[in-house]
Amino acid sequence: MQMRASFAKWRSLHLTFNRDADMNFILEGTINGILMGSIYGLTALGLTVIFGVLKVINFAHGSLIMVSMYVAYWAIIFTGVHPYIALIIVVPVMYFFGYYLQDIIIKPIFKAEKDIREPITVIIVTTGVWYILDNLTLLIFGPQYRSIQNNPLRGKMLEFGDMLISVPKLWGFVTAVITAFAIYWFLQKTRTGRAIRATSLDREAASLMGINQFKIYNIAFGIGTAVVGISAVTLVPFYNIFPSVGVLFDIKGFIIVVLGGLGSIGGAILGGIIIGLIESIAPMFMTATWAEAIVYALFLVVLFVKPSGLFGVKYDW
Amino acid sequence: MTRKNINTSAFILLGFVAFGLPLVLRSPTYLHIIILLYLYAYLTTSWNLVGGFAGVLPLGHSAFIGIGAYASTILSLQYGISPWIGMIAGGLLAAIAGILIGLPTFKMRGAYFALATIAFGEGIRVMVENIDNLGPLKINGPRGLQIPPTHIGFGNFMFAGKEPYYYIILVMLIGVLAFTYFISRSKLGYYLNAGGEEPEAAMSLGVNVARAKLIAMAMSSFLTALAGTFYAQFTLYIHPKSVMSLDFSFEIAFIALIGGRGSIAGPVLGALLLRPVSDFSRIYFGSTLPGLHLVIFGTVLILVMIFQPRGLQEPLSKFYNTLLDRISGQTRQGEVTHEYS
Repeated sequence: MQMRASFAKWRSLHLTFNRDADMNFILEGTINGILMGSIYGLTALGLTVIFGVLKVINFAHGSLIMVSMYVAYWAIIFTGVHPYIALIIVVPVMYFFGYYLQDIIIKPIFKAEKDIREPITVIIVTTGVWYILDNLTLLIFGPQYRSIQNNPLRGKMLEFGDMLISVPKLWGFVTAVITAFAIYWFLQKTRTGRAIRATSLDREAASLMGINQFKIYNIAFGIGTAVVGISAVTLVPFYNIFPSVGVLFDIKGFIIVVLGGLGSIGGAILGGIIIGLIESIAPMFMTATWAEAIVYALFLVVLFVKPSGLFGVKYDW
Repeated sequence: MTRKNINTSAFILLGFVAFGLPLVLRSPTYLHIIILLYLYAYLTTSWNLVGGFAGVLPLGHSAFIGIGAYASTILSLQYGISPWIGMIAGGLLAAIAGILIGLPTFKMRGAYFALATIAFGEGIRVMVENIDNLGPLKINGPRGLQIPPTHIGFGNFMFAGKEPYYYIILVMLIGVLAFTYFISRSKLGYYLNAGGEEPEAAMSLGVNVARAKLIAMAMSSFLTALAGTFYAQFTLYIHPKSVMSLDFSFEIAFIALIGGRGSIAGPVLGALLLRPVSDFSRIYFGSTLPGLHLVIFGTVLILVMIFQPRGLQEPLSKFYNTLLDRISGQTRQGEVTHEYS
């Protein structure tokens, strides 16, 4: 890390003189930005599935990412396996976590507000879940940052000529693409997937066709949370784990999902990549915190100009 | 005694207790806690004008607190202008900001509106954190501004003890409650109510719902900013994470929601119930069980939303009304159930 920081400083000092190294630097930033962005997209994928079906924005999303990261962390520490093998544990655990979260806490609100198309109360309740999960984790596990130091992926870089590409992020990119296609295939080809799509288009008509609305919600929430689990496994090799790690991903997740279009899988991945690119390229020209401001500004522009996002279905907003 | 008389006497009694409290309660720590309680009651009641009466979920209100705090602080530190004037200036600035934010966002549906207010709130905070100097104004970015406790006096909105602050915030709280009461009974209040429930029906009757919401937003942001100035003068140190954070916005919204948004007593009730929880769990459990009060908040929020979505003021006000009925022998509609000799 230290070597890279001074290397970057050297580069920025010679920005006007060394054009070739310059281009390489930007290309490297772009590639790493795309890789990290695809991981962001993967974290937002679960959110977009949940919104597409339930029509509510799950404010506890970040907390679910955080919980998944802790689950993955403990799974890897206790079994000592390669991080990606932890998927076997994390995915089912998170699926059921999401399934029952929806079933026990969110379903009663849906039943109470049956006629309202998008119950705001669910947003409020998921915010409550966010607070509980984050602070319960703080209480039980303490505020310290954890990371898996000895995993086979940490800090590994791939050399492409003059550029250094982060290996864990590359793995993340591949996982993101595979997961996106897998979810897409699931929704298009399987019976449950079609039921989910039907419910997302028109919940009354779907239930008239014999689809159990609430079971579909449970399943959709479970799938969304399982995808969050996958994204957490992607992050754990190189990202620090602490109780409020989810907050960063929460807000980014909303921005990505609005950018790409709520309910669109490709949109989530693409939106993530856009954010990843902004995050890696903007700091070359301005401070990192202004880059943050740009992301918020972009978010607001999208909300005002095209709230349905890049690929979203146009609702009667 | 008629029902109305009992109600009025209860309020007068409450007033005596509130105004007399500092004479009995000498401990500065407890006064500090109660002052913060009043502050939160004030903030949630101001929030209620938009979050309750207008029927939307604004989650970025701390930005207005920040605007108020920074406006009055910069004016008093750099130009020597009394914070009272700075308060009004901050309020006007916040009202303009509120209208600018409301213009594009009120068109959006619930969840999108909430997200947009979060984005605005966080966007403003990030900008303030990044700016050290805005032209001639010293903003100091993340380090914030400190107010030296030198010129004590009413004109400078600075006092040695806690008692003056107590009375100021108490008067502000009573003021904003009275204001909310009158708004709820006014044409604007009815417009907001109609617009919140059935906007199309209201518009077909000629109600300019969008304009009503914007007016409510301007009022709410103005009042919220006044509290920002109070906070700055009370704590003498402001920085983005303290006055414009997402947590602050969420806390205000939570308390108002748990107490019952859309009602007048609701937000105050919420503050009355939840602030002591927050303070005491922080004092007694702060080091051993950090974040406990937030777990309690979250749990209470979920339970209230599932079982009493209109807030805790609903069962409590029903209880109060039943009590009034029994004591006075009259019901709300005025029929006399039995005479008291």
